[in-house]
Amino acid sequence: MMKRKKDKKKFNKSGGANSLFNKTNQRQSKSCPLSGKNAPEINYKNLKLLKKYVSDTAKILPSRITNVSLGKQRALSKEIKKARVLALMPYVGN
Amino acid sequence: MNFYEHTYITSPELSFQETDSVRKKITDILEKNDGKILKEEDWGIRSLAYPIKKNSKGKYSNIYIEGNNKVIKEIELFERYDERVMKFLSIKIKKIPEESSELVKTS
Repeated sequence: MMKRKKDKKKFNKSGGANSLFNKTNQRQSKSCPLSGKNAPEINYKNLKLLKKYVSDTAKILPSRITNVSLGKQRALSKEIKKARVLALMPYVGN
Repeated sequence: MNFYEHTYITSPELSFQETDSVRKKITDILEKNDGKILKEEDWGIRSLAYPIKKNSKGKYSNIYIEGNNKVIKEIELFERYDERVMKFLSIKIKKIPEESSELVKTS
């Protein structure tokens, strides 16, 4: 019994290390949809674009879901807030 | 001299003459403080995302201004105490866009 347990432990250790290593390889980072050459302009008048980055309850979606880069996310949230002031977009949804 | 983008919402029940008088007052203020209107856009009557002063609709007007910070202060002072103007927003911009925005009324 003792021997078996020891063997198991060893197996788990090596396996755990391997799976961790594999995970980092499998996950491929998506590029930011608002960066690059053909990226759309972020402006508070461009409502079609802004509505993509807002949840059903009109909250701004986090960049970890939408893959927007840090700088663009900052610009995006500023423009959404401008649109909210002018009642082009809601502060709270249904 | 700076460039500004100024948008204001007037209540939808106003007649054409009344909205024109609001515009005239803004141009008067601009002339006094040597500012200029470079571009103008009419977004028409749009439904609001939330009610403002118990109105569910509003008439949007957008103007691009060249002038100093005093002009914007004076215009906002006038709009704050005018009952016909429901809401406004002025933004300092670096360049005046050549193309008209998507919000311009097409019909």
